[in-house]
Amino acid sequence: MEESTWEPKVVGFLCHWCSYAGADLTGSARLEYPHNIRIIRIPCSGRVDPLFILRALQNGVDGVLVSGCHPGDCHYQSGNFHARRKFGVTRKLLEYVGIEPERVQFSWVAASEGPKMAQVINEFVEGVRKVGPNRLFKDEQ
Amino acid sequence: MGYKKIKKDQLKALFGEFSKDYSLLVPSRSKGHVSFNPWDGDSADFAEWYRNTTIPPKAMFFPPVEEMLRFKKGEEGYEIEELLPGEGTQVIFGIRPCDARALKIIDILFSDTYKDPYYLTRRENAILVGLGCNEPCETCFCTSLDISPGESGDVDLFCTDIGDELLMETVSDKGEDLLSKMSGVSDASGEEESKAKELGESVKEKITREINTSGLLERMRSNFENREYWEGVSRKCMSCGICTYVCPTCHCFDICDENNKKDGKRVRNWDSCKLPLFTRMPMENPRHEKWRRIRQRYHHKFEYYPMNFDTIACTGCGRCIRECPVNVDVREVIGGI
Amino acid sequence: MENKLKEEAGKLLKEGKVDYIIGFGKGTVKFRTSPLITNKEEDLDNLVINPFIANNLSRYPIELKSRVGIVVKGCDSRSLTSLIQDNKLNREDLVILGVPCEGVVDIKKVADQSKAEIDQITDINREGDSLAVQVNGSSKTIPFRDVVFDKCYGCAHPTPLEYDILLGSEVPPSLETEKSLKGIKELEEMDASDRWKFWKEQFSKCIRCYGCRNVCPACFCERCFVDVNMPQWVSTYATWQDNLVFQLIRTLHVTGRCSDCGECERACPVGIPLRSLQRKMVEEIKDLFGYEVGIDKDSPPVFTHYEATDPEDFIK
Repeated sequence: MEESTWEPKVVGFLCHWCSYAGADLTGSARLEYPHNIRIIRIPCSGRVDPLFILRALQNGVDGVLVSGCHPGDCHYQSGNFHARRKFGVTRKLLEYVGIEPERVQFSWVAASEGPKMAQVINEFVEGVRKVGPNRLFKDEQ
Repeated sequence: MGYKKIKKDQLKALFGEFSKDYSLLVPSRSKGHVSFNPWDGDSADFAEWYRNTTIPPKAMFFPPVEEMLRFKKGEEGYEIEELLPGEGTQVIFGIRPCDARALKIIDILFSDTYKDPYYLTRRENAILVGLGCNEPCETCFCTSLDISPGESGDVDLFCTDIGDELLMETVSDKGEDLLSKMSGVSDASGEEESKAKELGESVKEKITREINTSGLLERMRSNFENREYWEGVSRKCMSCGICTYVCPTCHCFDICDENNKKDGKRVRNWDSCKLPLFTRMPMENPRHEKWRRIRQRYHHKFEYYPMNFDTIACTGCGRCIRECPVNVDVREVIGGI
Repeated sequence: MENKLKEEAGKLLKEGKVDYIIGFGKGTVKFRTSPLITNKEEDLDNLVINPFIANNLSRYPIELKSRVGIVVKGCDSRSLTSLIQDNKLNREDLVILGVPCEGVVDIKKVADQSKAEIDQITDINREGDSLAVQVNGSSKTIPFRDVVFDKCYGCAHPTPLEYDILLGSEVPPSLETEKSLKGIKELEEMDASDRWKFWKEQFSKCIRCYGCRNVCPACFCERCFVDVNMPQWVSTYATWQDNLVFQLIRTLHVTGRCSDCGECERACPVGIPLRSLQRKMVEEIKDLFGYEVGIDKDSPPVFTHYEATDPEDFIK
């Protein structure tokens, strides 16, 4: 019963200068994207510590999306380059430990890419829907 | 109280009986380290390999994480749900004399000015079945702290391993009660009694390392300001909490409330005076430096606790020496004072 | 090697080239060594080099904040170099006494192979490629390499790469890498939910003693993220969820600085296989960025540096 009415709840860490503006543009252009995402604005994708991702999963969200500027376009020059390296290892560890890779997604979305933002969020939420609710950190099994 | 005995191969049946009425905890290796675990329904041969557990029995009375109460914001204020331990009885089979003494030592503290209901309820609802040591570990030094590895007045029923059988001696009424419920028990002969006593004596002799407790209070006091000594001793320490958590008499804890806006819980958890932030306060941290924390721990165990409660808060179990990654040895530290 | 060590260390102290000597000292328990940190010449007699020198001493120089002479094996020297790469230590403040290492004996493995308890072993002596073990009055001979720590198999740099004085002759790299990755391979063969169950079970044992964190040379933060309470990232108490998050984040923070010295796993009192996490990350870094820690003290640490060609196939 619970399964059929379950809607994924996902968190998006979007960088202020590109991805957040991109999501804003999606809204202004009246393009729809799923309501399942809760957006958290961060100054730069490089701000994201893997701790945020794990904490979000621990607190029960079904998926985490991190989005930043395209390489070369970072407002802070190199934040997304460092982020790229960090995320490369983070996702390897999370997969190794047994967390479904569909739950954690990374993307580069520019401020002008309103449609792309909608598409990314859409695909992400559908991917999370397929893997089901996050029961990883629950006590009962 | 006469001596009784039970054959070791009847232990499995005995454990089966116990499990019906009690929550039975026995030494086990199933988790990758030696610990007291609920009986798995099958193995009863721990006497062949068991020395002592890594986590001491204090964990069964004073758990590493203990929810004390839950609260919820109702319409007229907070509704509080107390989470005292239940009434079920625990039987802990195989507790060593050093650990049993340790429980008596921290009993004093937990029933001092404030009688801790969480700890005391569990203590009252537990039956301790002791097991004497036949072989000491290299790290044992209980004899220098007036503890005998072959006997114990701190348990309810005391067993000695005399080969194929366990010799049993009741120590308290609870123990007598437990014994009367056990089947497969027979009377022990005089020879078997003497064998057990001899074993106890020989183990005492095998413990060769000791800790120097003569004139201890005076020595501790006069060396308190000896910064050079404490800095030297503490240089290799890495300020983790291993020694405090594996120590059967260490008892420091922290209490935290965790809540979201509507409800929450209050949890007690183990804390360690060795960790850098233990004494951190808004204005300052009086034990910011590592040597102060090491000094404080040894003084607490060997000076303040005896001053307040007439007993040294150490039982010579040796776990701190065994588990310390850098081999800080309490015998050396106290010996050097 | 031991005599040369005592001689060189004595000289360093006498000539005032260093303020402290950090080396392996005799332990108070059989088959263990204890870090010896001293500024007194008479203490140097207790320096040892034997098959049990498991400690990683490179976590001490930062605390001491002075010029030190430090004894390191292959793995430790890479931790030390990592700290130099991170600018936590100056190369000029260190006199590195390198010990070419053929492996460190894991007493638990000796006990297993001798079918006895650790306390029943009375003596162990190295005789060429074997260990002569005295157990319960009888002798056994075991191949030395059968009872070294898992990390020692496949050690690519047993001889320290950065040193001032080399205390023995160079040791060639070991080629048994597969054996050191045994735990990791077993986990990779399980499916995801079994892996999660495995780690959930392991971290239910964790008592949050922070032995792993404090023994690690790469954990040099003055205030660890678990000690921050505004915001409280991880609960202060030991639930398996928080224990797991703590260790996963510690692993990620330490990635790129970890040289797989294995001290975290050795320190853990409840036997959690931490190397299966840390070593996995060492392999990933090699795979993704072609980086190995502690090889070149002048190269930047892996996460302070980036390349235009870093892999981004996973980023939409």
